[in-house]
Amino acid sequence: MLLSIEPDGPVPIYQQIRDRIVEAIATGEAPVGSGLPATRQLAVDLGINFHTVNKGYDLLRQEGLLRIGRKAGAVVSRDATSGPPGPDWEAGWATRLRTMLAEATAQGLPAAEIIRHCRDVVAGFPSTSDGDPS
Amino acid sequence: MTAAVLIGYVMVPLFGVVLWIVPLVTRPTLQFGVRVPPAYLTAPVLRRERRNFQWRSAIIAICATAAVIAVGSRAAWISRLVEIAANLGCFWWAHQRIEKVKSAEGWFAGQRQTVVADTSWRTEPQRFPIGWLVPAVAVIVTTVIIGILRYPHLPPYLASGGRQVATSPVTAFAGIAGQIYVTGIGTGLLLLVYRSRPDLDTADPAASLRGYRTALGAVARALLILFACIDLTLLLSALRLWEVYHLPGGTALLVLPVALGLVAFFATLVRAARKRAGATDAASATDRDDDRFWKGGLVYVNRDDPAVLVTARFAFGWTVNLGNPTAWLLIAGVLAVPVGLVIIKLATGT
Repeated sequence: MLLSIEPDGPVPIYQQIRDRIVEAIATGEAPVGSGLPATRQLAVDLGINFHTVNKGYDLLRQEGLLRIGRKAGAVVSRDATSGPPGPDWEAGWATRLRTMLAEATAQGLPAAEIIRHCRDVVAGFPSTSDGDPS
Repeated sequence: MTAAVLIGYVMVPLFGVVLWIVPLVTRPTLQFGVRVPPAYLTAPVLRRERRNFQWRSAIIAICATAAVIAVGSRAAWISRLVEIAANLGCFWWAHQRIEKVKSAEGWFAGQRQTVVADTSWRTEPQRFPIGWLVPAVAVIVTTVIIGILRYPHLPPYLASGGRQVATSPVTAFAGIAGQIYVTGIGTGLLLLVYRSRPDLDTADPAASLRGYRTALGAVARALLILFACIDLTLLLSALRLWEVYHLPGGTALLVLPVALGLVAFFATLVRAARKRAGATDAASATDRDDDRFWKGGLVYVNRDDPAVLVTARFAFGWTVNLGNPTAWLLIAGVLAVPVGLVIIKLATGT
């Protein structure tokens, strides 16, 4: 898996790490059971403080996507094959999605364009292509 | 002219060639220690400074060789030092010129700068070529066995470096300590390199990691063979010390393994660096402009980077992150033995 971050970008680095790993899980690049580098190793590879990596991993752990064991290290514990998420999670996610979609609408992007973007993104994730988003 | 003198002569132009080539075999996006965004790869200042460096470095090599021929091989090591210092000066000069144009024209203004990590480097770590350590270990074991067998038959005084020293385990087995030091420290550092950050190109991280793995393997093997060559030279000098053989041209025989090992190592290094330099920089993303952490384009100081060893900015090699306290411990560890020996020598007056 390739982890590309912008150290001087506007998004906090831990958030970028979390986002890239979520994307890798969605594309199937990091399926359930695949290992991630130890926090110190990833910190060295990205040239950043190890607490930053820890923070990113911790977000993923709280979301149930990552299991961090003392021996096995960080292992992906959930992906598209693990079944649907709980209702609590979906409500939280819908709130965030609303903000994202509101941004596009506020900027004047037509509704059809917004839907097209959503469809393209979801179509790019292999295991969700069985359900027709249209 | 003995072969030792000949090697003294040959080493100066050899160094000249290496110093001439090495700063030039580098990634297009790293010129004289300056990070260059893909959009500026054809900037005139880069071509001009490369050409100027070639000229200056070639003149230095010719002058150094001429000096050795004129003064004799006694001046060989001074020539080599001056040669290295002058080349560093040329490197620094080119670095400053490019840096000046870069900041004046704002090469990185508005560019998205990224850092990339490939997690497979950690999840599928590169295997250390442990088998290539066998020659070095075999030479050390041979030296130890011969030393133990020979020690009871040694005369009361040994001829060491043109002087007579009283025979003791310290004077007789110094060479073995040297072998263990070189092989041990060298292998330890190489193991650290295997755990360090690889040098990835943001434009094509997967291909650059594959290239890095191949190059690292080749350089590691060449280095382990170089250790075996150094150990062999120390074995040959120990054999002479223990009066196993007397040869008129003995010194030449002594330095021959090291010289061959060095040539092979430099050749591997340049080949590895050339491969990396030849990789495409197909400009889809821009590496982070990290020049502020590279003093003079050569010395890395970054307190926020947890890395101890990082890949150097030219050729194919590694350097320490002086902003990391562990790096200072590492330097102290490597220097502890030679410095300790000098102190003991000065203190005891032997």
